[in-house]
Amino acid sequence: MATRGTTISRLTTLWESPHTLYSWFATVDHKTLGKRYLATSMLFLLVGGVEALLMRLQLFHSDLSILKPEEYDQIFTLHGLTMIIWYAGPILSGFSVYLAPLMIGARDMAFPRLNAFSYWMFLASGIFLYISPFLGQAPHAGWFGYANYTLTKYSPGMGMDYYALSLILFTISTTTGAINLIVTILRLRAPGMAISRMPLFLYSTTTISFVGLFGLPPLTAACIFLELERRWGMHFFGIAEGGTIFLWQQLFWFFGHPWVYIIFLPATGMLSMIVPVFSRRPIIGYPFVATATVLTGLVGFGVWLHHMFTVGMSDMAMSIFSAGSMTVSIFTTIQVFAWLATMWRGRIVATTAMYYAVGSIVLLVIGGLSGVFTGIIPVDWQVHNTYFVVAHLHYVLIGSNVFPVFAGFYYWLPKMTGRMMNERLGKLSFWVMFIGFNAGFFPMHNAGLLGMPRRIYTYPSWTGFDGVNEVITVGAFVLGIGILISIINFFYSLKRGALAGRNPWGADTLEWSTDSPPKVYGSEHIPVVASRHPLWDDFEEEEDPENDRVLDWGRLTPTTTVLDAVPVGIATIPEDSLAPLWLTITLFGMFLAIVYQRMWFALGALILSLVVACFWMWPRTEKEVTE
Amino acid sequence: MSTVQIPPPQVSLATLPLDQKRGIHAMWCVIATEAMLFVAMFGAYYYLGSNKDRWADHVAPKWWLALILMAILLASSAVLMWGEHQVKKARFAAGRIALWISVLMGVGFLALQGFEYSVEWKDVTPYSDTYGSIFYTITTLHAAHVIAGLVMLMYIGVMPRYGDTRRTPHKPYKTAALYWHFVDVVWVFIVLFLYIIPNFQRYMHVH
Repeated sequence: MATRGTTISRLTTLWESPHTLYSWFATVDHKTLGKRYLATSMLFLLVGGVEALLMRLQLFHSDLSILKPEEYDQIFTLHGLTMIIWYAGPILSGFSVYLAPLMIGARDMAFPRLNAFSYWMFLASGIFLYISPFLGQAPHAGWFGYANYTLTKYSPGMGMDYYALSLILFTISTTTGAINLIVTILRLRAPGMAISRMPLFLYSTTTISFVGLFGLPPLTAACIFLELERRWGMHFFGIAEGGTIFLWQQLFWFFGHPWVYIIFLPATGMLSMIVPVFSRRPIIGYPFVATATVLTGLVGFGVWLHHMFTVGMSDMAMSIFSAGSMTVSIFTTIQVFAWLATMWRGRIVATTAMYYAVGSIVLLVIGGLSGVFTGIIPVDWQVHNTYFVVAHLHYVLIGSNVFPVFAGFYYWLPKMTGRMMNERLGKLSFWVMFIGFNAGFFPMHNAGLLGMPRRIYTYPSWTGFDGVNEVITVGAFVLGIGILISIINFFYSLKRGALAGRNPWGADTLEWSTDSPPKVYGSEHIPVVASRHPLWDDFEEEEDPENDRVLDWGRLTPTTTVLDAVPVGIATIPEDSLAPLWLTITLFGMFLAIVYQRMWFALGALILSLVVACFWMWPRTEKEVTE
Repeated sequence: MSTVQIPPPQVSLATLPLDQKRGIHAMWCVIATEAMLFVAMFGAYYYLGSNKDRWADHVAPKWWLALILMAILLASSAVLMWGEHQVKKARFAAGRIALWISVLMGVGFLALQGFEYSVEWKDVTPYSDTYGSIFYTITTLHAAHVIAGLVMLMYIGVMPRYGDTRRTPHKPYKTAALYWHFVDVVWVFIVLFLYIIPNFQRYMHVH
């Protein structure tokens, strides 16, 4: 029988990547990749934030000309794309990729190399999009890119081509990531973690992964149509040739609205983890919250026409989709009341993470209510294309994505870095962000009701929009300062923060039973779960006197059944590989060749990609440790 | 803390067999998302037709070749199923032969589809109108999927061991075959939506 020391050294040898340049590019460790996801998407948040501030400067007064109209169009398109596509989704993927295996007691994801591929593709698609502003030809038709403004007649530059193809690259990344998370969460859960005991964050992650599988292909189809029409002279959207511009809108919003839930549900899942821990009690209505999460994802497919109430549709279609939009708000309400009840019945610990969580509930309710407004058809007709909608969508996206993400950072960063964040700076950052956000976005409701249209680069002074826009711009800058304070706090705490220890918050889920930061192999003995709150019950998860669950003769983790989590097999986990990076590079080259219609180069890159994929999949013997 | 506590299943982990199911689960997810891509394409096909008096039945697609193409693909699926059965019984040589027969039939499908384009569809081009654009996009996208399936099958065909090897985390033969069956089923829907129903509509229109 191996002693504890040899077990640990064997596990370390198996799982650790050496600190070499090769390992830096070849790593498949979900913790490294998760941190890269988080860092990269935070970078996109900052880029998108700077773009937002540039726009706010331009709109500070009437008739300013800090930005030219074309520049403004490009910047507001990039802002929308960066925030909605390249920040809001991937940051949640980052949390999922880092936390999901730890939460379920697995040693890595189901497909670690695919995980690396998803990350590299995400990075590559972002780089692909940001080539275009350096050519001076960024996309300029809004993140929604409505046809037929996107056709070559009105958008002659390369901007919309970069738009379409970077989105296709991004859907590849998100789809592979979703498949990976689905198989990981459904098949690799610790023995005993039946589906009724799964942490709520994993419910939302699984739901949005399925939503992604079914919601992203219409976007891919729409982008394929756009590119074929723009560069190959086929006809889908051009009205003169028998196409219809609404084909784009239908396909885009069939993707677009489920995407809203993709960037919203995991954040509510985080709240469902954080609120109970800082209320010192289990969440109230766990089955209701879990069901509401799944139903939100499902019903989210039946609301997309509410983005198109003004295009002229039958009353029947509009009524059904209006009713669908109302139905979705019921499921969100269930979650909100579950959090409120949990706080009501609990003893609240006022940490920074809890501040952000409660703040996001407040903003989410405001955004949800203005969403109910816009879901009602007559109100929608009144406020359509005004700043009211801008206010609504920012309340929902910042309230239910940025604030929960910051709550998540203050909650989980001690696990990732091993050091506590500074509470005083954190609370300061929260208040600055909260005040700045409300000062910046609440007046937008007013501006919208006064009739200020969105997507305009300036406005004349007689409209009387000056005052409200000054407040909005100041608020936006205050929000930016608040975010900066948290970033400073992160770097400060990385050096000076108090050591976190295993479970600084007294939390209930499995990721807190590992070291902070976790060992490369996660936990030494695969945990076994007996209840919904493994660390709050008196069952010892890693009790394993006979060393049955160390699995230290290879890179291994157990697989279990989908519903009851009965162990049925041992999964082998592959080693580091450069193949995911090479495949990303060849696909990137292929898409670049397509933008410039160099189809022989594209074919060459495709063949190279296939060669790399074959190399990737070639069966080989895995590393084993022999005694 | 009062939480419901149920003792976990008492199974020894160390003696469990190696998992080989993750690959097939991932493939089902791939098929789900690819199927949705075709649903979007078919949706676009009908949406583009919804504002026109005559759609698709104005050309009356000739469906004989499409049916023969369908027969080829379904037959290749049947052969591959037989191959899967052989591999399951560890008759790997027979499985490999079945796989290569399927590949040949797939290549035959592509050749015949090219012939069909050039003979039956010479009056309709991708650039002539929306109907041509969406017809060629859907059928070419399917052909791209056929090529992807063929590449996968050929790759399995040259892989050294594709039975129940101890270290392979997947069952490559079964996984690739599943994708091939999916590609074949998509063609059935293409024949139904793009060939048979327009002719039926034309019949209704004329009579």
